[in-house]
Amino acid sequence: MAEQTIDRRVIADCQQGDRDAFRLLFEAYKDKVFSLAVYSFGGDKSAADDVTQQIFLKLFSAIGQFRGESEFTTWLYRLVVNACTDERRRRKRLLPLGETLVMSDVSGRKPQEKQFARLEISEAVQAAIGELKPKFRLPILLKYIEGLSYEEIATVLNCSKGTVASRLNRGHSQLAKRLSYLKNQTALGD
Amino acid sequence: MFFHHVTKDFSAYVHGELSSEESRRFAEHIISCQRCRSKFEEIKLGIKFAEQLPRLTAPDHLWEEIENLRARQSVPVTQIVAPRRFISNWKPQLAGIAAVLLMAIGVGILWSYRTRPSTPVGPSWRVARLGGTPKIGSAGISNGGQLGVGQWLETDSTSKAEISVASIGQVQIDPNTRVRLVETQPTEHRLELARGKMSARIWAPPRLFFVDTPSAVAADLGCAYTLEVDDSGASLLRVTFGWVALELKDRESMVPSGAACQTRPGIGPGTPYFEDVSAAFRDALAQFDFGSDPATRKAALDQLLEEPAEARNTLTLWHLLSRVDGNERVRVYEKLASLWPPPKGVSREGILNLDQEMLERWKDNLAAGWAQRPLAPASLLDPLSRVKRFVRQMKHKIAD
Repeated sequence: MAEQTIDRRVIADCQQGDRDAFRLLFEAYKDKVFSLAVYSFGGDKSAADDVTQQIFLKLFSAIGQFRGESEFTTWLYRLVVNACTDERRRRKRLLPLGETLVMSDVSGRKPQEKQFARLEISEAVQAAIGELKPKFRLPILLKYIEGLSYEEIATVLNCSKGTVASRLNRGHSQLAKRLSYLKNQTALGD
Repeated sequence: MFFHHVTKDFSAYVHGELSSEESRRFAEHIISCQRCRSKFEEIKLGIKFAEQLPRLTAPDHLWEEIENLRARQSVPVTQIVAPRRFISNWKPQLAGIAAVLLMAIGVGILWSYRTRPSTPVGPSWRVARLGGTPKIGSAGISNGGQLGVGQWLETDSTSKAEISVASIGQVQIDPNTRVRLVETQPTEHRLELARGKMSARIWAPPRLFFVDTPSAVAADLGCAYTLEVDDSGASLLRVTFGWVALELKDRESMVPSGAACQTRPGIGPGTPYFEDVSAAFRDALAQFDFGSDPATRKAALDQLLEEPAEARNTLTLWHLLSRVDGNERVRVYEKLASLWPPPKGVSREGILNLDQEMLERWKDNLAAGWAQRPLAPASLLDPLSRVKRFVRQMKHKIAD
């Protein structure tokens, strides 16, 4: 469903508790929210499932607080980023080994060429994204999955545009280094 | 400019987040700063990888589960049950008027589509008419139009157009020319020139703008140039500022300002030459590059090596090193070394074995003599000029 169908009227209807409007909102953003969640949890789709549900539940109960002072998407992504961060912290507290196990499954093997050797490019990129620190991963996800501008990313992450630019540089650089062995693959070649 | 590296702006430049003035400064710096250029290539690669990141599809059961959770949490929901108004509620005469109006709008839209180029979906480049009636697809443009990915822009014998290449430059399309927008992305902009002539002025960092021709790909390295393709698919590149690389498979020609290079289908780029070389030199080079008879090619090479000592011939000779074998390579090396001795760290043996690092180092050293103005052979430079050149090089090294 196109994102353009979400206008002020739909949001106003959501604030009035209109179920159809909620469904419209859900359909417009579910893939984006789910993608962000999957990449935030290192590819764990089950965890992403749970957190996506929580995000939409929270969205539906908190949408009354949206005053239209900022863009709705910015407000939504702030909610998503906060929910993912909280959930990661919660899981770290409750299952201190859980996340480490997921990450070590990917990063424990050396060299990196072997790590992703059998994966397709997009899978390799997903795995490499999962290895980035959250502060470098989130700007990349907001840029490439959500298509936000630097200013919007800065608002969502509550930092300056310069910080966004700097973190994207670091993220891109780390991706290039981790995946340099794929440089000559035809899909990426000049 | 060398003291203000642009490392913090790499991603912002590619994402179009810099102002036009900042973009211009960025491009100017990166063309002249090897360190930033190399780092920028790494960032561009990272961006290309990030662009491969797919958006995932949420599972179908998600909405149902959310509904269940909402029911359990008793989130108050006021279902709006106000009846929607549908056509079935309209009075028949109102429906009739609406149908007529819809038909009229449909006819209007159809007429509009037949007389105007359709607006492309997705990214596109602005096209300005400079004369006559250039066409995008089958529709003529009166003042301006948008060239979408996959669309052809064609000029006849009386028309000309100018394309704005995203935010990185402009391309003038001469009469009787046919070009197609192949791709436009932050990390790559690509045109196809099927026939005719175009003039490009690009102020982007190297390797962002490419032109495909039937016999080679022109990769912009920060420059201005004209590219002409004839009906056989052969092309002629003439560079007026900066550098252009012509490529086909493993064959590459680096063409600096003031130089030209021809290409042929099935062969690729020939050997570049400065435009002020003699006609005999140019003819011999064409025979060597594109001749099919080995004896004729050998005679052409002999003629090239017998040409009077000119520092500017070093552009051609350097390229010939990797295009000849055995004794011929030795002869080309001797001639080149007599015009411009290899710099420190570049050995005769390394060059004869085509050591890429040494070839590049010699080329970078030679490039000082490939400036627009004619230079005297290195051996004839007076001591003062040598000192001046040395000081200039040291200044650049220190600054970089």
